[in-house]
Amino acid sequence: MKKKSLQLLMIMLLILSAFLAACSSDSSSENENETGGETSDGEEGSEEGASGGTLTYGFESAPEGLFNPAFYGIVTDADVIDLFDEALFTYDENLQPEPGIASWETEDNKVFTFTFEQGVMWHDGVELTVEDWVFALETIAHPDYDGSRYANVQTIEGAPAFREGEADSISGLNVVDEYTLEITFDEARVNNLVNVWSYPMSRAQFEGIEVADMSASEQVRQNPVGLGAFKVDNIVPGESIELVKFEDYWRGEPKLDGINIRVLDSSTVVGALGQGDIDMISLAPVNGEEVEALDNVEVITYPGLSYYYVGFKLGTFNSETNEITEDKEKYADLNLRKAMAHAINRQEWIDAFFFGYGSPVDGPVPSSHWIAADSADLSTYEYDPEKAKELLAEAGYEDVNGDGFVEDPNGDEFIAKFSHYQTTNPTFETRAQAIVQYWQEVGIQAEVEMTEVNLYYDMVEKDDPAIETFFGGWSTGADPDPTGLWGSDQIWNYPRYKNEESDKLLADALNIEVVGDDEEARAEIYKEWQQLISEDVPMIFIAELQEIAALSSRVDNVTYDVSGPNLPYEWSVTE
Amino acid sequence: MLKYTIRRIIGMIPMLLLISIVVFLLAKAMPGDSLSGEIDPNNTNPEYIAEMRERLGYNDPLPVQYFDWIKGFVQGDFGKSTRYKMPVSDLIMERIPNTVFLGVSSLLITYILAFSMGIFAGRKPYTIGDHVIGGLNYLGLAIPSFIAGVFAIYIFSFNLGWTPYAGSVEVGLQEGTLEYWISRIHHVIMPAFVLGALATASYTQFLRNDIIENSRKDFVRTARAKGTATTKIYNVHILRNSIIPLITFLGFDIATIISGAIITETIFTYPGIGQLFLNSVTTNDYPTMMAITMLLSLLTLVGNLIADILYGVVDPRIRLD
Repeated sequence: MKKKSLQLLMIMLLILSAFLAACSSDSSSENENETGGETSDGEEGSEEGASGGTLTYGFESAPEGLFNPAFYGIVTDADVIDLFDEALFTYDENLQPEPGIASWETEDNKVFTFTFEQGVMWHDGVELTVEDWVFALETIAHPDYDGSRYANVQTIEGAPAFREGEADSISGLNVVDEYTLEITFDEARVNNLVNVWSYPMSRAQFEGIEVADMSASEQVRQNPVGLGAFKVDNIVPGESIELVKFEDYWRGEPKLDGINIRVLDSSTVVGALGQGDIDMISLAPVNGEEVEALDNVEVITYPGLSYYYVGFKLGTFNSETNEITEDKEKYADLNLRKAMAHAINRQEWIDAFFFGYGSPVDGPVPSSHWIAADSADLSTYEYDPEKAKELLAEAGYEDVNGDGFVEDPNGDEFIAKFSHYQTTNPTFETRAQAIVQYWQEVGIQAEVEMTEVNLYYDMVEKDDPAIETFFGGWSTGADPDPTGLWGSDQIWNYPRYKNEESDKLLADALNIEVVGDDEEARAEIYKEWQQLISEDVPMIFIAELQEIAALSSRVDNVTYDVSGPNLPYEWSVTE
Repeated sequence: MLKYTIRRIIGMIPMLLLISIVVFLLAKAMPGDSLSGEIDPNNTNPEYIAEMRERLGYNDPLPVQYFDWIKGFVQGDFGKSTRYKMPVSDLIMERIPNTVFLGVSSLLITYILAFSMGIFAGRKPYTIGDHVIGGLNYLGLAIPSFIAGVFAIYIFSFNLGWTPYAGSVEVGLQEGTLEYWISRIHHVIMPAFVLGALATASYTQFLRNDIIENSRKDFVRTARAKGTATTKIYNVHILRNSIIPLITFLGFDIATIISGAIITETIFTYPGIGQLFLNSVTTNDYPTMMAITMLLSLLTLVGNLIADILYGVVDPRIRLD
């Protein structure tokens, strides 16, 4: 009897292992077929200069499925959209707009005439006309529209009236002919062009769909249609997307036969790259070193547009009147803020927590942006604990009771509270702790408070008294205008920094009468503004990060600059 | 039995109402709301956020918000996901096939392993075999699934190349073909095994202990005295009695099949309800989160009801009326 049950166990184990073996042999034969197919493609390709083949693009987080530029909410979706759709104009390595499908002319920066290329096709075979752009603009300005892009349309003359339902169309849009559209903005601005919504939407596809139902529609989620080099063939929600080349792409036939997007967990990225399962992925700094050690993968870094800072709460924001009052006293002393800036060893901190994929930043604009001021022109705060101590003494912060930490000028205990957001990322608490230690080393008693990320931004936004100094990050777009983050009537001006000179400079930089269409003049004003900010230290600017991408050795013709990768129709693979 | 069932089902209604209030209040008690994550000066502006808050009704008093939600819910309208911008019911339906497939496969593995190990250990208690099984079971219970998942991927996917490590199906297969289904099975094996093997402990040990206990009872001695074959005694007389306590688990298993495995699904990038639920919590996607929670509560209640009814079927001594 004993034998029988043992036998049973053995049989079950055998069955299981046979099952596993069957599957594994199945997969290896599949793989052989695949690679076989690819090599033959590659051979064909080498005759006509490396075309054909499929590239596998890895994503660390799953797209939400809003595959339309007007509706997407997260970067992952935007990355998918970039593969199959295209804006009317693109940005060069200096983030200046350059003509793409559309070119433009303007005399006064108020009225723009856009001319479309002829014969540009949607993936469904319908030709693109300016009506598709008008359709996109009217969709976004529609009262039922549930996306967040209205800011890119509201500057067009008549858009607010259309949104309120007072007009049947946007009066600022004048269709001259199928390929020419004249847009009148409500006033002349230097950034009208980079701000305006530049993705057309296929009128034919969305015919008969109410604006309110669009984001849930099949045309957005399952069968999106675009203008780009690849068309969407099949979407398996949350895990993979197949794209095949669009032969009628207006810039020319794409080199790749297709792109497969695969979603994978961050814990498997390094292994998948090593096995050659994915050809391309953007990396988190923590994985960089391990991937660099792989032979078949190249790690590419390119300048990013985001920066991290430690902000000081200087005042409060009144959401009724949209006004800032600098009424918080604790960090009002400029020398105290400067001392706290000098205390932080930014390079060491970046090396420890971003594995060297970043560098210290000295102002509110990442250094790769065309308006960024040279560090030499800014007030910089290098790591200098001695200077920090001197500045503290100058400001009257001295250790009166001999506990090793300074007291404020009135002789009361001074404890700097530093808030940082908490997610599932375990390094956040350590990196916050590190900042606090720098302060303690120069004699400022400091403590960390970690707050759950949703609550954190709520508290920062509402000027909760518990927030004194806080960690944060911002990113800059193609349009460099920082008013939304620094204007004294802006809710996202988190330090609650109010300075009339700053407001004036920001307004001047947008004022067509001051700067005209001279980008240089505009950049000069922004540089002056950055000097002012760096002198006032409403934030300690900590780091700007590099973007990191991994490319397998079979991938060619993928290049990156500050605006991201080049257009996907140029990408290719070899065996 | 029918009367009993109806009484239980009616009894569920106030329970579900209470659960809905708790779920709603807990959801609202979470810090921030579904728009707090959207602070990005390049993509949106404060006016949009304020307007969306108004439109989504976040500024209404709580009771108004609750009744708006529950009114739709009772009529089968679960609302629209604030993240995915599509009806929650569609979103859940999109994920359910994957989750059920994974849940059923892992349960199957649990049952197969637990029954074979439990019966073996129960028949030969206090032998080496029994101790090895016990040791393995408690090891499984002690290893967290995310560790087991990562190791399984490392060993079986990267070193041995047996199984895929991401997704629920190979890219580029036609839905419905034989190849497609083989690929589905191939993709589900590893997550199902990790989930199933780690959950065997309670089943195995319950079964083992019950078999040992029953084998000392009088009816077993009688059967032996009659000269019944030992195999028959174990497989018919004892096993049937020993299954009864396991039915309690079955009630929870039904909810487990739908609830998915949050961590396992994430590690294996297996898009199912568990992953959706986790995302909805981190992004404060109230409609999705509340719909899934309500669904799971309902299933747990129904599962328990089914378990109670099954007691009566398996053991006629337990009378329900």
